[in-house]
Amino acid sequence: MSNTQYWNRETSTIKQYSTPVTQQANIICISDPNDKANQKLYEGNLEGAKILAIGSQMSDFDIDLLRASNANVIFASHPNSREPLKMLLQEIPSIQWIHCRSAGIDSIASEELASSSVLMTNAKGAFSSTLAEYTMMAIAYFAKDLPRLLKQKDDRNWEKYCIEEIRGKTLGVVGYGDIGRAAAKLAKAYGMTVKALRRNPQHSQDDPICDEVYSNDKTSLHRIMSESDYILCAAPLTPESKGMFDEEAFASAKKNCVFINVGRGPIVEESALIGALKNGHLKGAALDVVAIEPLPKDSELWDLPNVLISPHNMDMTETFTQEATEFFIEENLPRFVRNELLLNPVDKVAGY
Amino acid sequence: MLSSKSSTFIQSIRNFKDLRKSVVVSRSFVHATQALQVPPTIIPSENADPAMKTYKYWNREEYARKGRYDYLIKVSPESIVKEAKILNLSDPDDEANEPLFDRLPFGASILETGTKLTDFDDILNNQQPNVVFVSPSCPMARKQLPLVLARFPTIEWVHVRSAGIDFVVSDELSQLPVTVTNAKGQFSSSLAEYAMMACSYFAKDLPRLLRQKRSKNWEKYDVEELRGKTLGIVGYGDIGRACAKLAHNYGMKIIALRRNPKLSAQDPYCSVVYGTDKKSLNQLMSESDYIVCSAPSTVETRGMVNADAFKAVKENAVFINLGRGPVIDEEALVEALKNGRLKGAALDVFSEEPLPSTNELWDLENVLISPHNMDQTATFMHEATEFFVFENLPRFICGKDLLNPVNPSLGY
Repeated sequence: MSNTQYWNRETSTIKQYSTPVTQQANIICISDPNDKANQKLYEGNLEGAKILAIGSQMSDFDIDLLRASNANVIFASHPNSREPLKMLLQEIPSIQWIHCRSAGIDSIASEELASSSVLMTNAKGAFSSTLAEYTMMAIAYFAKDLPRLLKQKDDRNWEKYCIEEIRGKTLGVVGYGDIGRAAAKLAKAYGMTVKALRRNPQHSQDDPICDEVYSNDKTSLHRIMSESDYILCAAPLTPESKGMFDEEAFASAKKNCVFINVGRGPIVEESALIGALKNGHLKGAALDVVAIEPLPKDSELWDLPNVLISPHNMDMTETFTQEATEFFIEENLPRFVRNELLLNPVDKVAGY
Repeated sequence: MLSSKSSTFIQSIRNFKDLRKSVVVSRSFVHATQALQVPPTIIPSENADPAMKTYKYWNREEYARKGRYDYLIKVSPESIVKEAKILNLSDPDDEANEPLFDRLPFGASILETGTKLTDFDDILNNQQPNVVFVSPSCPMARKQLPLVLARFPTIEWVHVRSAGIDFVVSDELSQLPVTVTNAKGQFSSSLAEYAMMACSYFAKDLPRLLRQKRSKNWEKYDVEELRGKTLGIVGYGDIGRACAKLAHNYGMKIIALRRNPKLSAQDPYCSVVYGTDKKSLNQLMSESDYIVCSAPSTVETRGMVNADAFKAVKENAVFINLGRGPVIDEEALVEALKNGRLKGAALDVFSEEPLPSTNELWDLENVLISPHNMDQTATFMHEATEFFVFENLPRFICGKDLLNPVNPSLGY
């Protein structure tokens, strides 16, 4: 399914620009001035564009100066961008476009943002393949019983046991966006059956990678839970998806199901997850995201033996944030200054 | 054409015609029916590329015409050319051999099960066994097999239940005029899954994740991608190819090494195929971020991945062995792990199994050890026996070419 409006790091081709610049981009960066990943952006040398300010707090921004300089673009990469963004949108009517460096926009979303008319774009498609690799590793971790292997090694115990194949099992992907699809592509290569759940199932009707697509309602969610050996949550955090994996959902899970979350922690009701892990309904879970990050030391998740925890870093390669900034500089900024359609538009109301 | 003389056989053919009416239709039946609509392929060519989908070699996932001869015998007994009279050189309690006892195709029978020549003393001369089925559960298979073959010169075919034939080959066997086949292609996909897990284990630094969990430490760190990295495969057979298929989907670059590189000229996954000379091996080691050793243990490969090869590795390389322990120089491997040349290793096979508790490998932090079980699913050995029962045995009975020929003198 090729959609020229969305960018994918592996499949999108780099475009060359030969047409002239038709509008100047005056950029406000809600970022950490010491963030090395943004170095290329801060250095300047941007065609048709100028950096007006770099900061993360309201006090960093001289509103009058910014208004006079006709600021029209905001680049948001700071984790605490929500409040400064609200203020800037309110005070500077000339803002036309906000680019969010990350894929998830839940950290900067607000009602003010949703009701404004500015264009918003993000880093969809930048992190997908790494997360797909993590997903398959998490699946294999449980299928080959890696915890047992490691324990046996500690005990110098050479004890043969049967492993499970990944081939032939079913992966249920909840939230079938770029990340979900990248994981599904790998799962298919392994010979898994893939089922997907998304808000607009019609978009995936002809998708050769998934075998079945469900829509986003409770019955479908329970159904996909009951049919999948492995569930991957790759959904964005929106008012609709918040808490969607609750007690009922986990109760419908297939026996020995493994739950993997690479989306956002609050999509899962953590107490319900912990309950399902403790009572053995879920075989295990692999979580790269949790409700509160960093995960508080008193969380039960640390102690459960059948949980693989990672500090929201499974897409964090040495260069990934740099590449995300480069996407802004090399893909969307050249498009903006030439009045062309921007890649990765975000539906501010839907939240993703 | 029926060529058998025994009256019981003819009687059972008559019974069979009644039985046929009540035969249970299984899925393989349906597939076989569909397959039969295509005319059979002819004699295997010496130039057939084992990397391509050819009838000469079996791959559990890809082989298109499963069960076709088993089906053929059921619907037209006239296609039976000869009976199969089988000596089962295995442990009688070996449960994986169950399909031998309740699902043999028509025209086949197990004469006796035993682990040594003397167990077959009761076989009368006129019974003329012509097939031997040998399992790793027979402890002295290497010694016993040539003795059995010498005692029963009517034996034409030996089928080895496993993929590795190193436990049963010998000079004596190499000199005997029997056809030998094995279970190539039966275990490949599980091992490919293990290989990718092993690569990710190091790329995402799983050991660090687990340490951090134990100390409840939420500390972000950079992970590596497999995409864009190079996987070097030493021994590019069915298992090597299954690994390549997965790695290719991860976006890895693949280079391979095999005795006959020309056979992989059309391979869709590798960018380079090397031969088995020392220079090429060192070249592969120097170019790969991850190395998978899936070569069989033969006279030529023993100790092949030696100290020189380990010295040539790229910085931070990861070494994975899922073929046979003796192919690598284990001491050289330990040395390379200790001095940091290798980032880590994942080993499913060892020079001595079970791995003695005194072996240094148990202590090295950057080694993932598994007890030669990464292809051991609950059903894998049953499936290996089923391959004999549903695929090769019917072919033998119908006088067709057998799948998975191996060369005992080459060792694979």
